[in-house]
Amino acid sequence: MEIKIRGLKKHFYSEGKVIKALDGVNLDIAANKIFTLLGPSGCGKTTLLRCIVGLETPDEGEIQIGDTIVWSTDKGIYVPTEKRQLGMVFQTYAIWPHMDVFNNVAYPLQNMKMPKSEIEKRVAKTLKFVQLEGFEKRPSTRLSGGQQQRVALARALVAEPKVILFDEPLSNLDAKLREETRKELKMFLGELGITAVYVTHDRVEALALSDTIGVMNAGNIVELGSPTKIYFDADHQFVADFIGRANLVTATIKEQQEENTIVDTPLGQISCHKRSFDPDDELVLCLRPEFIAFDNKESEYVNQIPAVIEQMTFVGEVYETEVVVGDQRLMTKLDPETKYKEGDKVNLSIKAEHCLLVSK
Amino acid sequence: MEKRNTKLTYSLIVIVSLLTVAPVVMLVIGSFSNNLHSFGNFTFNKYAAVYTDPMLFSILGNTAIFVIGAAAFATILALFLAYLNNRTDIPFKFLFRVLSVMPMMIPHVLFGVSWVLLLNPTNGILNMWLQKIFMLSKAPFNIYTIWGMIIVEGLLDLPVAYLIISPAMGSFDASLEESSRVFKSGPLKTLFKITLPILRPAILASFILCIVRGLASFAVPSVLGMPGRIYVLSTYIYRIVTMSLIADYGKAAAVGMSILLISVGLIYVYRYYTRSSDKFVTISSRGFKPTVIELRKAKTPLFIILLIISFVLIVLPVLVLLYTSLIPYVMVPGKQAFASMSLQNWRTVIKDSLSLRSLKNSLILGLGGATVGSLLSVLVAYVIVKVKTKASGFLESISFLSFSFPGIVIGIGFMWYFVRTPIYATIWALFFSYIATYLPYGIRPMTSAFVQIHGSLEESSLVSGASFATTMRRIVIPLLVPGIVSSWVLLASMFFRELSVSVVLSRPGTEVLAVQILRFSEDGQWGRLSALGLIMIAISTIMVVSVNAIGNRYKPGEVREKRADKKILKAVS
Repeated sequence: MEIKIRGLKKHFYSEGKVIKALDGVNLDIAANKIFTLLGPSGCGKTTLLRCIVGLETPDEGEIQIGDTIVWSTDKGIYVPTEKRQLGMVFQTYAIWPHMDVFNNVAYPLQNMKMPKSEIEKRVAKTLKFVQLEGFEKRPSTRLSGGQQQRVALARALVAEPKVILFDEPLSNLDAKLREETRKELKMFLGELGITAVYVTHDRVEALALSDTIGVMNAGNIVELGSPTKIYFDADHQFVADFIGRANLVTATIKEQQEENTIVDTPLGQISCHKRSFDPDDELVLCLRPEFIAFDNKESEYVNQIPAVIEQMTFVGEVYETEVVVGDQRLMTKLDPETKYKEGDKVNLSIKAEHCLLVSK
Repeated sequence: MEKRNTKLTYSLIVIVSLLTVAPVVMLVIGSFSNNLHSFGNFTFNKYAAVYTDPMLFSILGNTAIFVIGAAAFATILALFLAYLNNRTDIPFKFLFRVLSVMPMMIPHVLFGVSWVLLLNPTNGILNMWLQKIFMLSKAPFNIYTIWGMIIVEGLLDLPVAYLIISPAMGSFDASLEESSRVFKSGPLKTLFKITLPILRPAILASFILCIVRGLASFAVPSVLGMPGRIYVLSTYIYRIVTMSLIADYGKAAAVGMSILLISVGLIYVYRYYTRSSDKFVTISSRGFKPTVIELRKAKTPLFIILLIISFVLIVLPVLVLLYTSLIPYVMVPGKQAFASMSLQNWRTVIKDSLSLRSLKNSLILGLGGATVGSLLSVLVAYVIVKVKTKASGFLESISFLSFSFPGIVIGIGFMWYFVRTPIYATIWALFFSYIATYLPYGIRPMTSAFVQIHGSLEESSLVSGASFATTMRRIVIPLLVPGIVSSWVLLASMFFRELSVSVVLSRPGTEVLAVQILRFSEDGQWGRLSALGLIMIAISTIMVVSVNAIGNRYKPGEVREKRADKKILKAVS
């Protein structure tokens, strides 16, 4: 089922200040895909999710899930949460501590007044799907973090909703478990093929899981696109900076060539991936550390920038290497077996397609 | 969701206002009226009459000495016990726990009576015994004095003071003391220069709360003070409405107004100190244990003192009542006493229609009132914790209004109120006034229970397609069971032994246990009083223990550990 959101506004008032959690959001979420809302804390992503579920009432706007309008300020429509037939996994999992695993998972079906035998069948099937077979009688207080997470997922899936929502479901797991669970979740969702809306502030999660990412900032969707589009080809400095590590350098357009855009920067003249802007747009050049090579003379590396290695920090898989160009510092990466050392004079080699121009 | 909550909030505001704001308003109007029948005809006469009465000054003096003395006694004793429990290696520390829940078992009026039986100047058992041994010409002690009142009231307030001071003492960062020791202060100097000043907010909070309780206290001043003609404000009000030819509720209201204002003011100060105590006392989450001081030689004497306090607080009252219930008239324990023992008093009480009726009424009020009261508390606590609007904040303040109400004063307010309604002189008058007066005690354990239920537990139920009612029934209520149990137990035990509101509102046909006990005491019917009192203690103990046992069975998993102490602390503070 697809989700349509039109002109959604929600303001909070605290200590006399207005916080625009949602500032007129328009959004179409495609059916049967994984959509991620990504943004820093306080950007409004959770508020947007809660509006879709119905736990928060917007001040203005309209939300349509499939063919049903579930909220409209103009038409005066409000479908309460319990009638929206959605599934949701909460950040805290919200597993009820006074019920065993079976009753936690069976709860949505019990509310549908389904016959007992059918409930047992469906719960068993769902528990098998999340790999918790035979856990029915386990008290929910005796589950590990990862198991709780899967019970929460089973509960969200058991009634076979057309849309499932996730509110930072991995943020309470430790780093290693988070990675495993993320992979599992991707597999589960791939098999189900239902519409999933996923909220996170973790860019790796967003990149790894999503079909489409919506990057949010200050109550607005700043940019929308596939993970590769958001990572390699962002339009805005905020998005480019948020989605990965980036060296940001101010730039002004000098010349538009056939294939490249030439800009003036404190690093010198740089050939960039071609893009056109309004003449009065303030521009920023975005260089990802992993795309900065050292002394590579191949012809694709059209940009060659003389620099000095200032500091190298060994962090395991790489040396995080800080180089200086004039008074500009750049972060780069060197392989752990590199022969370069601090103080070396080098040429930074960058392909034009890896020089991304974004608006400020 | 929001609409439903708004509706709930406003309905609760109406209900709680009718319970807590209305009697105060009626008390204020009443104090400016001539009497129950000329309600609302504005007059200053009552204030003029009360506050120019020369007798009032001696009453005010008595009151001040009584409340300050009892509060100081309770606080100092609590400090001593809290220090022993938290900071020393004194044995049998469970005794402190027992001491801290004691007041739920023994009604104050019975505790007072047991001291009368021991130390009254004419036939106090201990007095007669001492007289016999030391051949004294007259009784060595007289409990019917201000000193008697102070000590007995102080002992009754000890658990409250202890529950405030002990956690502060226990969560105290020992390095503050250790650093003082490092800088060459001795243990005693450290105690006075470091430990006590840091605990000052808790000590002041305890002292103030004990003063408020002393002002509201009716049991001790009536049982110990009135026979010696020592009146304090609460018994003065009682005298105005019961002992003069025409009960003057206008004058009573005018006196009540000043107690009410002092109490509200003190509770405000108390709140201030308990708020800043969080900042002051350094509570660490590292789970460290403060250094335990070895008592060495002092261990045995201190332990004996602890045993005596426990004996005096818990065993002695029951023992004295049991003994008195078995003998025909008060005499020193001995051959003659044991020979004349019989169950006569018990038989008389069981056949006494007045005692039976008061037992029945108190049971109905205890069980029914606690059930309705905790139900109301659940809803109010839900709105206070989960609905964060201006209206819910207002609901919170009116719900806790009665926390600072002295029972007898609010009883006068209810008199002015109910006399205008059909429930006057029915059991419903007591029913509603109990719930109103003790509502904060029901709400406190519930709010802390609600705080522990994360909002997403309810939200996930809604997302799972459950209605608001189903969510309440299947998720919220079961998780609240421990809180509901504490609320219910607290309310039931308070209602079952309620005295100070009842003494104003109870009418022929609506007698209750504590009032009946007071009547027996006024008539000197000690044997019957003791038998009825023991029945009372037995029932309330069975009630508390069995409900707690039922509540324990519903505890979800390992989520809730022993929180009983904390809940009682929160309820009383």
